[in-house]
Amino acid sequence: MTIAQTAADLFISALRSSTPMAFALCGEIMGERAGVVNIGIEGEMLVGAAMAFAVTAVTGNPWVGLLAGAAAGAALSVVHGVLCLVCRANQIASGVAVLALGAGCSSYFGTPYVGRQINSFAPFTLPGASPGLAAVLRAVSPTMVLGLVVPLALGVLLFMTRTGLRWRAVGEAPAAARLLGINPNAYRWVAILLCGVLAGLGGAALSVDYAKGWSEGMTTGRGLVAIGLVVMTRWNPLWTTPVAMIFGAAESLSLSIQSRGVGISPYLLALFPYLTPLVILALHARFSRRQGTMPASLADILQPGT
Amino acid sequence: MKALARKSWPVAAGLLSFIAITALLFGRATPSVMGFFAMLWKGAFGDGYAFSETLVKATPTLWCALAVAVPAQLGLVSIGAEGQMYAGAIAGAGVVLLFPHQAAWFLLPAMLAGAAVSGGGWGGLAGWLKARFGINETVVSMLQNFIAINLLEYLIHGPWIASNSGNWPETAEFPRAAILPPIVAGLRTHVGLFFAVGAAGALWFVARHTRWGLAVRVLTSNPRVAGQAGLNHPAYLIGAMALGGALAGLGGIMEASAVQNRLESNFLQGYGISGYLVSWLAGHDFLLIVPMALVMGAILTSADTLQLNASLPASSAIIIQGVLFTCILGWTSFVRSRR
Repeated sequence: MTIAQTAADLFISALRSSTPMAFALCGEIMGERAGVVNIGIEGEMLVGAAMAFAVTAVTGNPWVGLLAGAAAGAALSVVHGVLCLVCRANQIASGVAVLALGAGCSSYFGTPYVGRQINSFAPFTLPGASPGLAAVLRAVSPTMVLGLVVPLALGVLLFMTRTGLRWRAVGEAPAAARLLGINPNAYRWVAILLCGVLAGLGGAALSVDYAKGWSEGMTTGRGLVAIGLVVMTRWNPLWTTPVAMIFGAAESLSLSIQSRGVGISPYLLALFPYLTPLVILALHARFSRRQGTMPASLADILQPGT
Repeated sequence: MKALARKSWPVAAGLLSFIAITALLFGRATPSVMGFFAMLWKGAFGDGYAFSETLVKATPTLWCALAVAVPAQLGLVSIGAEGQMYAGAIAGAGVVLLFPHQAAWFLLPAMLAGAAVSGGGWGGLAGWLKARFGINETVVSMLQNFIAINLLEYLIHGPWIASNSGNWPETAEFPRAAILPPIVAGLRTHVGLFFAVGAAGALWFVARHTRWGLAVRVLTSNPRVAGQAGLNHPAYLIGAMALGGALAGLGGIMEASAVQNRLESNFLQGYGISGYLVSWLAGHDFLLIVPMALVMGAILTSADTLQLNASLPASSAIIIQGVLFTCILGWTSFVRSRR
């Protein structure tokens, strides 16, 4: 195996690991850009993963499964919307409620599907491709492509359209936006639902495409890590892919070390995907000079009293 | 009286919606809806054993809730109580495994001190990262949960696995000298409950009647005055996170010692989130937390009964908690925002 091939393998496995995280990151970015923090994204990923897997198992069509997962994430995000926008509850507390509901419901309704087999996406093929290219194409799955395209689309939406300008205005200064005739709650409802759809898709990509199975709590904190990593993207969807790759690289590295039978406990290796974001967040905070990219209206939620 | 009624009706409305939703979700599991709630009640309070189990589950919940409520006095949101519990349990068990033949007068205090220091350091780390680098303490404490859980798994699968466990991941049973005694012989309720309630009372006293409590109130209500008075915000921030972590650490080792008698896989699973819900429902009030923890203990215990008698899966407990929290949070916030 050539070095180039090994590097390509590592890159693709890191990308595969990072795909569910990329969807979750996009969701959280879009939510926070409109001034809504969603800690419950982990719960939305879990219901998305469970629903997508169950629907794929029943219908045999992974695309229908992806859609169902996105719908399940959106359905759960309605709870967040009602609590935050109708009841005006604290967003962090509301997110924890969504997290508990998502974890509970996914486990409750997902139990019958533990250990089931599914037919996932068929691999890409291109007639007449060279063996190297064909191998790369086989390793790439539809959700990975989607995970690369969605951040670009959201970046265009957010920074190059009027809707995006208003979206950001609602997150920066809802009172000023209201004076301009923008209804902040309408934008926030859309943002919360979009965040639910993307989190559900992330969960679906995880269960249907990446793991090809469902187990209780299978997101193992991806949604929570995403909330931390949003800071690194500076709330810009275009930075999603490289930032999600931090987690993806850490995870695929720890998995590949494990599979080579190195004498390190798998539980110590499993620390890697959590320690890496923590260290990088600290380094980022230490050396970053451009503070203040955070949507201004989040300050009341994330830093009360300062 | 009128004020009390005005304050309590949203809670009552929340409870009613909770009952309605729970009945809709789970009522079919039993022949009648009333039978379902009767089963819940009997599972938690039906006899001495059930009540003892409720208290057993209320104890770590109470410690976790205190670990959330202490930082909350400063406006900090910690979701790391579960990781702090594991950090405490690991260090406490380390002390026990290091000195297995010591007498109880040495072993018990050393074990508890080890747990408090470790949990405190674990929580304090999140406080330090916030004070030094401004990294959000909620995010750090969540990440720390996964780190602590994997550390525990590493230890009980590897260096600390019991020689006679047949590869089952658990440590050796603690020696008798390292086991916290039960309150009533034969039941699992242990003296850790008294410590937890005592800690809640002590915290209430400190918050209400000491200069530290006053300083925290000034720091949260008027940062400018606090600065002029020379109050050191970073020190209080790190201190609050560390104290919360120490309380959770104590809860973790007490559960390991008195209930499990060893470290096992996931033996504290779910207490972190239950504790967060309890502290929030009690408005982070140290005295109100105690009855709320009892209610949560009752929910957790009766969910075990549901699993046994109505063959509902274990995840019903977390759904019930989530629905309860959603309903009360929704109603109280709704009424407050329309006032």
